[in-house]
Amino acid sequence: MNLKQVQTTCPYCGAGCQISFTVDTDANKIVEAVPADGRTNAGTLCLKGHYGWDYLNDPQILTKRLRKPMIRKGGKKSPLVEVSWDEAISYVAKRLTEIKEKYGPDAIMGTGSARGAGNEANYLMQKFMRACIGTNNVDHCARI
Amino acid sequence: MNYFVKGNPDLCIGCRTCMIGCVVAHEGKRIFEIDPDSYTFNPKLHMVKTAALSVPVQCKHCENPACMAVCPVGAISQKDHCVVIDTDKCMGCKSCMDACPFGAINMVPVAGKFQADGTEKKVANKCDLCTGLPGGPACVRVCPTEALTLVTEEELEEAAEAKRKKAALNAFSENYPQE
Amino acid sequence: MSMGIPEIEDSGCLLCFGYNGADSHPIVARRIVRGKQKGMKIICVDPRVTETARISDIHLQLKGGSNLALVNAIANVIWSEGLTDDAFIREHTKGYDEFIEVIKEYTPEYAEPITHVPAEEIRRAARLYATTKPAMILYGMGVCQFSQAVDVVKGLANLALMTGNFGGPAMGIGPVRGQNNVQGACDMGALPNSYPGYQNVTDPKSREKFEKAWGVSLPDKVGCPITHVPRRILHEKDESKRIHAYYIFGEDPAQSDPDLAEVREALDKCDFVVMQDIYMNKTGLYADVILPATGWGENEGVYTCADRGFQRIRKLVEPEGDLKPDWQIIAEISTAMGYPMEYKNTEEIWNELIDLCPSFQGATYEKMEKYGCVQWPCRDKSMEDKGTPYLHKDGKFATADQKALFYGTQWHPPLEKENEQYPMTLSTVREVGHYSVRTMTGNCRTLRNLEDEPGWVQMNTEDCRRLGLKKGELVKILSKRGYCITRCLPTDRVTPGATYMTYQWWIGACNELTIAELDPVSNTPEYKYCACRVEKIEDQEWAERHVQELYEDIRAQMGIHTGKGAKA
Repeated sequence: MNLKQVQTTCPYCGAGCQISFTVDTDANKIVEAVPADGRTNAGTLCLKGHYGWDYLNDPQILTKRLRKPMIRKGGKKSPLVEVSWDEAISYVAKRLTEIKEKYGPDAIMGTGSARGAGNEANYLMQKFMRACIGTNNVDHCARI
Repeated sequence: MNYFVKGNPDLCIGCRTCMIGCVVAHEGKRIFEIDPDSYTFNPKLHMVKTAALSVPVQCKHCENPACMAVCPVGAISQKDHCVVIDTDKCMGCKSCMDACPFGAINMVPVAGKFQADGTEKKVANKCDLCTGLPGGPACVRVCPTEALTLVTEEELEEAAEAKRKKAALNAFSENYPQE
Repeated sequence: MSMGIPEIEDSGCLLCFGYNGADSHPIVARRIVRGKQKGMKIICVDPRVTETARISDIHLQLKGGSNLALVNAIANVIWSEGLTDDAFIREHTKGYDEFIEVIKEYTPEYAEPITHVPAEEIRRAARLYATTKPAMILYGMGVCQFSQAVDVVKGLANLALMTGNFGGPAMGIGPVRGQNNVQGACDMGALPNSYPGYQNVTDPKSREKFEKAWGVSLPDKVGCPITHVPRRILHEKDESKRIHAYYIFGEDPAQSDPDLAEVREALDKCDFVVMQDIYMNKTGLYADVILPATGWGENEGVYTCADRGFQRIRKLVEPEGDLKPDWQIIAEISTAMGYPMEYKNTEEIWNELIDLCPSFQGATYEKMEKYGCVQWPCRDKSMEDKGTPYLHKDGKFATADQKALFYGTQWHPPLEKENEQYPMTLSTVREVGHYSVRTMTGNCRTLRNLEDEPGWVQMNTEDCRRLGLKKGELVKILSKRGYCITRCLPTDRVTPGATYMTYQWWIGACNELTIAELDPVSNTPEYKYCACRVEKIEDQEWAERHVQELYEDIRAQMGIHTGKGAKA
């Protein structure tokens, strides 16, 4: 078993706790999480920090992990069909372009994400909405 | 003398990290990979919240345990500063649960063990101070506010000595208030 | 937050207002507990007996929806008893006299019948706050999730200003942000009115700067806030404003937004819904396209924690399946639409954005690597600039003349009042062991075993006795907008007539009941106040079966077919 240690920031709440993970790189699985000496958490963690990581092992408890791009090819009520990334990306690009041409850029709304995604993805999302779509219709769940 | 874990309601924030820490310590790290219904989630301490306080309650590891006295099959014994239940011997009669003045014992199903009629085997469950596990009681270790401490004989003795000193001083100042 | 999280425990006095750290941020609550041990005085303002209220010196158990009346009354006492820091007010603020005109009438006696807090208690709290230095204010969703929210935030800032509690460590005012990266999403300009770094979209100078950097002309009017989306899809008459496409990234409006029935109808009617996420969720049931992204632990990046600290997130495991990082998906769509975005990694994106934001410019990956955390503002790339632990040093504020402005506003009651049909009130709160819409923590074994569907409704023991309800019994809870089933939790930590539900549950989904009334400035919904009714369910066996079936159905919809794990 090859193990590595990685320190990262907890994905829950705004306290910004640092956690030190032991990862089994052969099995591609997390083995253990212990508190690290971060500025805000100083070697302590709550229950989510201690025990909130095994969802990464896709336990199939509440919801299914998404693994492939999917499209409803026959409209709203039709089933989701797995497609390739190329097809998914060009389909989204085509539909958004059509809507933008027909109704204008303000007919499109986008969200950022206050959760897992990270700052860089949020930056790109608002850049996409503003520079590519041409609207300031971008917001996230800080309000909710 | 037996040891015990003591909770401080001035520090406890009722978050129950201790309860999960307890289960993880006893079931092992495998629980992060298995079907969540294939093991028993049986914390050996219980968070109590009233209007005025929050604190986990668990076995006091009494010196003369009422649970041990009433157990008809001798499943409860004292060793390594700790009152322990032999769950193989336990017949689930609930006498200990009834006798414990702190409500520290409950009955839990044993995952994967069944009776002759196919029903789950249930046994008495309580704090064992994580005996045999490295690092001491898990609840003490994981509590984010350091609200739990393991109280040992030496600590009790030290605390008692400090209290005696204070009592002596108080008695002195009551008798000789001017000095 | 104007202060840093570690400073909390060194304050002399904490005014904890509508903030329940023990459930929302246990590791921040830890600082409050440590502060108490070091002798910090605590004033807790909350309609419930929270963990902080329990250890507080003064607990003002106000009636829900009366926040501003109480804040103004505290200001009134500080003013009328001469407890103000006049030198600070003179040198660092503006608008004090106008503010006093507004709060003059808010005597403790005036506020008592509104807030249900005895006048003398208000006086005691005001004196303690104003005479202890440094004094700090922390607030949470108990302030923000009312239709009158921004006014209360300003009201709290007024208290800190009139007592000179800005400009040093362990003082000031701190909203403790709920989700891990709410601060970051705001910092990055995922807001309808601002570019990254809080540069306004209506300010021509900022717009020019971003136009130049991005090589396109940019729109100059403020965009649509997320809470307006349902009505902009369903009821917008102006065709140029109607929303036809909704690109939802890392959010689940069909679970987390208020008045879920309306949200579902909107998603159903919207021409094109794109969902980009890690797990199937309720919004996915309405999505036309689903784009699977890598999650936390599977990619690199930066989060901002509640006290403005930039920290790295790192890859722990290799993603399994046909997944892409969020930033890459967005870049590919943009490129396919004719606006090319090409980045090799997150650091390249980061370097582009910090150069566009003066207050982030010095916060390089290198610095985060070396110091662990860099709190903005951090303006200089040299390793000597380690960031800013607390804001407004020496009483200098981020305004043109560096002065802070007092804002006085009148209290108004919540929008929906209790009535004959719905005699109780509902407030939504957080579950300590679960996060957001639960797609992450609900898939964590031990957290799921600690608390599972359908959640609890906290009610006063007297109300439970009156309705004949026992602990753990399934009950029906209804509002004008909908109903759900949950378990009864009798507790004397809540006052008679009030109910509290955690918002993480799919069966006990309190947002079926909540009202979509918004604060006019922040557009935050009034999650903390609506009228409701609790009904006993006579046939408990049926109810248990029903909940079990609902859970199975939801899980089946979410792609889980094994039948395992359902223990509701």
